[in-house]
Amino acid sequence: MKTLKNLIYLLIVFTLISSCSSDDEPLPAPLGDYENGLLITNEGPFQNGTGTITYISEDYETVEQQIFNQVNSEDLGSIVQSIGFNNDVAYIVVNNSNKIEIVNRYSFELISSITEGLMNPRYFISTGTNGYVTNWGDPFDNTDDYIAVIDLFSQTITSTIPVAFGPEKLILMNDVLYVAHQGGYGQNNILSVIDTSNNTLASTIEVGDVPNSMIVLDNYLWVLCGGNPDYTGNETNGKLVKINVSDNSVDQVFDFLTSDHPKHLSVDGSRLIYNLNGAVYSKNGADISLPQESIISGTFYAMTTKDGKLYATDAGDFASNGALKIVDLSTNSEIQSIQTGIIPGGVYFND
Amino acid sequence: MKGIYLLIVSLMYSASLYAQLDSIQYLNEVVLVDTKLEDFSEGYVLTKISDTIISRNPQSLTDLLNFNSNIYLKENGYGMVASPSFRGTTASQTAVIWNGIPINSNLNGQTDFNTIATSSLDNITLRSGGGSSQYGSGAIGGSVHLNNTINFIENSSNELQINVGSFSSVGGIFKRKMATEKKYLDLGVDFISSDNDYQYIDLNRKNENGEFNKLNISLNGGLLLGNNKLIWNSNYFSGTRNFSGTLTAPSIDSYKDVTSRNLLTWNLTSKKWKNTIKAAHVFERYQYYPNRENPLFFEGNSNTFIGDYQLEFNVSEKVTVSSIFNYTHIKADGTNIINESRSTLAAIFLWKHLISKRISYNINIRQEFLNDFENPLIVSIDTKYTIKEWYTLKANASKNYRVPTFNDLYWTSGGNIDLKPEISYQGELSNEFSFKYFHLNMNVFYIHSKDLISWQPGTDGIFTPLNISEAENIGFEIAGKFSKSIQKNHFNLGLNYAYTSAKNLEKNKQLIYVPFHKITGKIDYRFQQFNAYYQQLFNGKVFTTTDNNSVLDSYFVANIGLEYLFLYKTMPLKIGFKLNNIFNRYYENVAYRPMPNRNIQTTITFKF
Repeated sequence: MKTLKNLIYLLIVFTLISSCSSDDEPLPAPLGDYENGLLITNEGPFQNGTGTITYISEDYETVEQQIFNQVNSEDLGSIVQSIGFNNDVAYIVVNNSNKIEIVNRYSFELISSITEGLMNPRYFISTGTNGYVTNWGDPFDNTDDYIAVIDLFSQTITSTIPVAFGPEKLILMNDVLYVAHQGGYGQNNILSVIDTSNNTLASTIEVGDVPNSMIVLDNYLWVLCGGNPDYTGNETNGKLVKINVSDNSVDQVFDFLTSDHPKHLSVDGSRLIYNLNGAVYSKNGADISLPQESIISGTFYAMTTKDGKLYATDAGDFASNGALKIVDLSTNSEIQSIQTGIIPGGVYFND
Repeated sequence: MKGIYLLIVSLMYSASLYAQLDSIQYLNEVVLVDTKLEDFSEGYVLTKISDTIISRNPQSLTDLLNFNSNIYLKENGYGMVASPSFRGTTASQTAVIWNGIPINSNLNGQTDFNTIATSSLDNITLRSGGGSSQYGSGAIGGSVHLNNTINFIENSSNELQINVGSFSSVGGIFKRKMATEKKYLDLGVDFISSDNDYQYIDLNRKNENGEFNKLNISLNGGLLLGNNKLIWNSNYFSGTRNFSGTLTAPSIDSYKDVTSRNLLTWNLTSKKWKNTIKAAHVFERYQYYPNRENPLFFEGNSNTFIGDYQLEFNVSEKVTVSSIFNYTHIKADGTNIINESRSTLAAIFLWKHLISKRISYNINIRQEFLNDFENPLIVSIDTKYTIKEWYTLKANASKNYRVPTFNDLYWTSGGNIDLKPEISYQGELSNEFSFKYFHLNMNVFYIHSKDLISWQPGTDGIFTPLNISEAENIGFEIAGKFSKSIQKNHFNLGLNYAYTSAKNLEKNKQLIYVPFHKITGKIDYRFQQFNAYYQQLFNGKVFTTTDNNSVLDSYFVANIGLEYLFLYKTMPLKIGFKLNNIFNRYYENVAYRPMPNRNIQTTITFKF
């Protein structure tokens, strides 16, 4: 009996020692539940509902829906359009609710909200000191579109820069901000060039109709223009436009067929990836013509690439949960399909 | 004619026999313009909503049917666009028939139930089951019949009702009736305006941008010239509504709609023959203002011209046949539809056979011509068997259809001119038990619909409608009524329950915004000139996404009302109070759109 008692004591002591020793190992403190992995913005239903954000861990094993609501116990708002980042802060742009929710990107705890000065906000980009948000204003008024400038210290809008109608995506190169004027509910065909040192409109660059996505490759700015759709009665072809940012001149233009309206330009190493006519195409930046053969089939609502993988969303019938498809671009085969929220419109990497 | 009206009266909610200001003037020559609703539908369940019930929800057909029928109504915030779902079918599969004329929008296929002024109507009949053979496109789940009656009885009366309620709601209804044995004329004017800025329960917010005002003018007249009857029905509606925001999105938009309907009916009757010629014009216009402060708007207009000839012939005492030729020409234009038109000629054959006093059946056949669709041959058969004095069995089976709307066909961008009509098959069995104090109705139904039109995103990201969905609706309905008088105390109870399973067959999921369960109930008590009533509604949970992952909770709402009739000789007047949502429950009928908190409505009605 006594032997048994001693044995138990011994066991307890050992357990204590071993558990102490594991605590002694220096591990970096986790920044939050959502560190690393993917964030998917789900616009939510067209009306009568809320958009959400889906978290997917780096190994795709953990999927958590509605993380903003889970953490903050409130709805995010109607039409969650996009997220922009500045260090460890995420700016969630909620289009129809005319607001930006500012959260810690790793814990998703709400820091602050911007509810004044935004009207149909679309995309956010940060220079480190300022944030820039494209705004359509009244979507049926083509003269009130603007970029809201946010002071990232006070998290308030300090000024606005009026621009041509339909500003959408933003890209920053060498302190110069390029704004693609996709054209809101209509069509436009320019980029606005904004000098972030004085927050003024420096110039505009005419590209193709409906510039819908931009990437940077080898110090060139590549702009994919969808062209005017058929129903406008003035259908124009899609264009891939290469811009030399040293003088903002158009270096090269690749024309698609008139009935071709490409979307979702992304970059994988030295090649450009885009979605067209129910397929994904890949063009090497140096190729002198557009590719004829597609690499993957599918029509995607949003698409982006990272480390040799394609992340593409399927919005389904737009009235139920969508999916994120992950494709290995070395084999062009699907690795994973993961359920998201309603109308997944943006894929972001939280690292 | 008299016999038919007596039948209507006997089928009515017994409440209609109650203290109505003009309850004396029954019988004699009362004319219902849409005769086939009564004459060739014995095997269908017809639910009458009497003028007493109508008068308790005088300014909203949505409220009226929500609390008094199995029809589920989806309302985008109180007073906003409201669309019906009859037996789990879509709003465009519920035909709304005004005096026999279909009035669903040619543009979106639906009727907004918040644009129908109930006070302008003499009765509302809900006809369950498919009715395409008689009423054409869209009568799939059932049809809602809005009727005016013409009474050739010496009469001259005026009625003025003033409504004042919560949320700065003010309304007025004026009705003038003049009639002799040969002439009839009535005029009705109905106006309502409301700020509709109710407080959201438990939230520090109000319903914003929900203001509305509505004006309805109706005019009905009749002339009796020997065997000839000439009847005129007119209705004009104009409404302006701001569209209220949701919990997550503010709103600044506004909506205006105008409808007008005119119908001329000439009826020549002999012992064996009945000729009816109708000419009608229906106009609709909507104007959508994305920003109520700006003059910019988007619009749609449609004009419908209808010519209709019906010949009814009594072959024998037991057999009646009728043939109808209906020519309909529709023109539509607007911001997204550029001058489109459609002409349709419909030939309809109706056969009615009374096998015995207890058994009768009808066969209806319809074929359409001229338009560009593959027009299906539409057939229906219905039968009524009175097994016992207290037990009647009704059954019907039909093939029904819905033609694509002008939006489906021509909308820029996305419209698809290659669409086919939606096709549906339905069957129904109904048991009616009628006792002295108690009336019970039990129905089971089955509807299978194919080639359903659904807007789908294409590879170019543009939504376009396709004939791709298939649905199956199965359900049952129970309606019980109990009425009894103990000395001068009159009690009247009613309970409706509907179970509806409506499945999208590709996904095998319940259709969105179709509740499995809906229960309505009422208790009505009258003592001399005093009247008290209680209305309640239980609306089961609904799914808000097609994968059934998002659920909108069920809700329960109840109203009470008190009325007193002062029988002043020179000017009788009635005062009414109604308390809506007495338990002050928070509820949403459409997700993220809270409905009103407890509110009061007062009415005063003068008769002179």
